[in-house]
Formats: sequence, C-alpha cells, structure tokens
Amino acid sequence: MNRRSFIQSIVGGSAAAALGTPLFRAFAGPEVSSDEYFIFIHAQGAWDITVGLDPRNQRAGLIEPGSTATIDINPLKKWVSLSTPLDGVNASSGYSFELVRPPSGPLVFGPGIGDLIRHYDRLTVVNGIAMNTVSHQDGTAFSATGRHLAGTKTAGPSIDTMMANSFGLGQLLPAVSINYPSSFVGQGLDRRAVPLTISGVGTLAASLRRSALYESAAARDGVTALLSREAQDLASMSANPDVMNGMYLQYEGLRRMNGENLINLFTDSYLRGKYTSFAYSTMSASVNAAFTLESLARNATRCVSFAYGSFDTHFTNYRNQPLLQQNLFDMIAIMLDYLDVMPHPTKPADKLSEHTHILVVSDFCRTPNINAALGRDHYPNNSSLIISPRFRGNMSFGQSDPEQLLSLPAKTFADGRRPVTPPDVLASMVSAMGIDPRKYLRDGEAIPEILR
Amino acid sequence: MNTKLTFLGGALLLSVACKGQESTAPSVTLDQVPGHESLAQDTTHKESPRLVPAEAYIRTYLTLFGGLTALQTQTQLTAGGSGLFDTWTAYLGALGLPNYATDMSRNTQTNALMVASFERLGIALCDKALEKDLKSTPAVAVDKRMIYTFDVPATAVDEAGFADRFAKLHRKFLGYPAKLAPTDRTARFFALYNETIKNHNPTGSRFTAVDAGWAAVCQGLIRHPEFQLY
Repeated sequence: MNRRSFIQSIVGGSAAAALGTPLFRAFAGPEVSSDEYFIFIHAQGAWDITVGLDPRNQRAGLIEPGSTATIDINPLKKWVSLSTPLDGVNASSGYSFELVRPPSGPLVFGPGIGDLIRHYDRLTVVNGIAMNTVSHQDGTAFSATGRHLAGTKTAGPSIDTMMANSFGLGQLLPAVSINYPSSFVGQGLDRRAVPLTISGVGTLAASLRRSALYESAAARDGVTALLSREAQDLASMSANPDVMNGMYLQYEGLRRMNGENLINLFTDSYLRGKYTSFAYSTMSASVNAAFTLESLARNATRCVSFAYGSFDTHFTNYRNQPLLQQNLFDMIAIMLDYLDVMPHPTKPADKLSEHTHILVVSDFCRTPNINAALGRDHYPNNSSLIISPRFRGNMSFGQSDPEQLLSLPAKTFADGRRPVTPPDVLASMVSAMGIDPRKYLRDGEAIPEILR
Repeated sequence: MNTKLTFLGGALLLSVACKGQESTAPSVTLDQVPGHESLAQDTTHKESPRLVPAEAYIRTYLTLFGGLTALQTQTQLTAGGSGLFDTWTAYLGALGLPNYATDMSRNTQTNALMVASFERLGIALCDKALEKDLKSTPAVAVDKRMIYTFDVPATAVDEAGFADRFAKLHRKFLGYPAKLAPTDRTARFFALYNETIKNHNPTGSRFTAVDAGWAAVCQGLIRHPEFQLY
C-alpha cells in the first residue's frame, strides 16, 4: 500500500464512520423503510411537568411543589411522601413526594409517571422546551407542527401528516387522527396523506355496517371493483390524475376493509374484549389505544394520533393532575407491553415495538407556583416524551431553571446556544426516520445526542 | 288588452325556451366552424376534480329519494328492519361535515371511510328505492317512480334493453348521456348486471336476481367518482 492509497483508505473509513453517525444519518436523502409505525399522543390541556417528566419536590424560587395539601395522593401508585413538611415545620404546609428514579441512569420522574417507569430503558425525555406561548391553540399547533399559528391558522403540516406522507401513502388509512391537532398544510404533500380526522373510534362503525337482507357481500364487492376500474381509467385520461388515483386507492381500500371485516377495528366492544389490560373506566383514551394496537397489528394504518386529556387544571381540579398523568403513562406502559409481544404484520420475525415510534407532547406546562384557586396556570416551558427504537433510551436532554422552571439553553445549535424548541423535537423524529427535516419543517434542528 | 297579449306571448316564449331538449353530440367539430381551423384551443384542465360539499351530497340524495326531509328519509330507509341505514348523525362526520362541538374541521378530500359511507348510503337509497318503485302494492306507474323509471321485466334484459334503461339511470345520477361517458361504461355496467344476476342467492334475500342486478347498477352510479366529484 503506497502513501496515497493509505490516505484514501483512512479518508474512506472516516467517511463511512461519519455516515453511520446519527447526525449524518439524520440528513440522509432517501426516505427509508415503510415498515415503521407511528403513534402521536397529545396530552391535551397542558400538563404539569413538576409531577411528571421534570419533577420538583422542594420549594425553591417560584417553585411550589405538589404536596399532600394540593394533590389527592390516594390513587397514586408511585407517591411516597417526604418525611419533612414543605416549610420544614408545619404539617399543614403539606408533604411533597419522593422523586421516582429507575434502577439506573439519569432519568428522574414525579409520581405521575406511574407504571411507565418499568419501561425506563426506552424512554427519551426532552425537558426545558421553550414554547414562547401560553395559548392552548398556539401551543398545541407549535408542538404538533413546529410552527406557531399564523393568526388562527396552522402554518405547517402536523407530525402525523409528515410521517403519513413519507411512509403511509400505500396504506389503507395512512393517518388516523382522533381529536389530535392534525393539519394538512404545506407544499409537496400527497393528498392521500390527509389524516382521517374523527372524534371517536366507534362513530365509524356505522359507515362499515352492511345489511344482509338484500345483496350479498360479493355483489357489493363487484360494484366497488367496477368503480375502482372506472376511477383508474378516469385517472389515466386526466391531466391531474391525483384525485382519481386517490379514489382508486380508496375503492381498493374499501374492498380490503369489507373483505377483512374491518368493522371490528372500529367497534368499541370488540376492542375492549380483545385488549383487556387497559383500565377502560379510568384511562379515558384506552379505546383509542386499543384501536391503535389493532390497526397496527392489521397493518391498516401507518400512523395513529389521539388526544388524552384534559390536563387543564387551573382550579382544585389540579388535585387530580398527577392521577391523570398516571393514567396516561400507565396506558402507554400497557401499549408497550402489547407491542412487545405482538408480531409485526409484515415482518413476522420482529415485534411491533421494534418498529413503532411514539411521541407524546402537550400544549406547554403549568406554572411552578400554585394559584389562589389551588391550581396551576399556563407556563411557557414544556417537556416531551419519545419512545422509539431509533432514539436513545434511559436518557434525558434539555433542562429547566431550578427556581423558575423556565427553559435553559440545552446546547449550541447551528443558530447559537439556546433551549430546545418543538421544531427541534419534531426534526429529530423526522430525521430519525431518514428524512431531511427541511422537507416539512421550516425551523428546528435534529438533536443527534438523543438519536441512536 | 295589449298588456295581456304581451304577457301571454312572453310566457309562451319562456315555455319554449325552457323546454327540455335531449343533449346530442355536436354535428361538427370546433375546427370545422369557419374561422376556427387553426385557432389554438386550450383544453387542459385547470384544476383537479373537487369533492362535492357534504351538504350538496345530502340535498341531492334527499331529492333522489323523492324530495323528502332528512328525517322522513331516515324513517323510510330504516323501516321494516332493513338494516340499511342508522341515523344521519352517524354519517355526518364521515361525509366530511364539520363538527363545531368537537372542533372538527370540514373534510374537503375523500378518504377510505368516506368512500365506505358513500357505499352505505348508496346501497340504502338504491335498495329502498327499488322496494318502493318495483315491489309496492299497488304497483307504481313508471312515470311516478323515483329511480327506476323504466319497465323492469322479471327476467334479465339483453344488451340493447339494458342500454336503454341504463341510459336513463346514467342521466339521472351523472347528468349526461351514457354514450358520452369517457369509459366503456355501458358495457362495463352490463357485465356487472349480468354477473350480479348470475351469482344472486335468493335465500334470505328480499331481492330477486333481477332486482339485485338493477340495484347493483344503481349503486354503481350513485357511488361513481363522477357523482362525488365535480
């Protein structure tokens, strides 16, 4: 080997190594893999991170931790009261909680984390997310799209639309959005990626029900097959074939839905009977979670998003804030349990959890202080939770001020030292799937530190 | 007197002008018109087809079903334990109507579940209309029927007989002559008609084979992309 070839081999090896790094992979051009599934959850109403993902259990500065004086602790599985009262003297000041720590690693939670703690090794927590808003609508849009509202209008596609557009176009239902703040705005989006926005799973069963008293299922399928051909032919003659092609795919989708008796997917009683681990009476979105699992198992949807709430606790309803979080996180823990044993529909050797990516966001967080009505108001900081095989588990990134709970700079980004923002979180999710974030996001920068 | 004459004349002219005329294919093409031999013609589409608003779909549906109110239609569609229809409220969201109670915006693009709802509603209309038009006692005169405004023999019709009847249905649902359809639509629907009749199992069905054949043709038209888009 001469000097030139030696240098070339080093350069080549370095380049190959660099290509394998998260940062480089994050900006790789071609979109990869269509075996991935996505679950997006909106903790609607703005959650209190001081009892959940970014906990505080001591008075410091503005911080007034949740305590036995302000929280109903009885239903909380992970609540262990501190032995000294908050003011150090009077029991009437209330007792705060012991921080909840996994067996190893840097993660630390409040008692709201519930049973999700047992999956700590796959949790990626992003704290100190600067929201620059305390408006529910704006915060919701900012978390889901990475853009603040333009007046009252969303300015970009939501994360479920992004993923459906990149990975779900061949899917029966590319994106199903159950009260999630989905938006289909922007250039270069395929209309097949429009999220199917619905207010509840059960309401769709009526559309799929068919009478057995008139024509047979085969006769109905014959009609749909004819319409499918009509749409295909009309598309081939059209200058703008997208819409007719879309209808062709939808007719084929309908044939599949009817053929596979997909009505079960939207039937509340069927879902409750099959996914029995959820506590349907206390976990308000459990039917949505069960629907998510069933639709992934049947390879019917690429992306399911739903809202869980409401966490908007300005008054004494704050007493239940940690319980709401416990229910949400318990529900996610149960989903993970199911995903760990359910085979991937197109990769039978794999489990669904190896290809499912979950992002949980909220509008923003709640104030560090307790207000006169014994609740917490709106505050422009936030946390997000990511559970994905493409993210580093048992990891926390970003931070908030110990006394004011405001976002602190997390690292030096390309535009300088600053806190994490929602577009950074979304860009990380997008780039983890091998897509250039600029395809969908005007702002934000992928965070290689949290990517595998 | 003059005023009366003028009024009568005007009314006569108006009635002549409004008299329906059967559309026919043009006898000459545009470039055969003097002065148009070399005139450039922009025939490109300027916009993709759009979804008919759900309100217009529902209004058309009600009109086709005899011009009843939504609730009257619902009552008739659910009568007799047909299982063809639930309630309008069960379909409004799937049809794309906004729901201000749950902050759901209007859906302006089709999706698989909307297409499923079109199927559900289309089947309900065609099957119930067939029962009312063809199976009522006493029999409904052809000109009083809602959908099947032609005589329906007890046995399957041949291709020519089908084409005449199909042309009426095609015009009713899609608004133009079947022979102008851009696809080989009449032949395609005739095949569907025959196939449905051939495979129909009368056991447990309220339809004869011929009924099922015409219902399938009706469903294919009310669920057609040209019915949903404009």
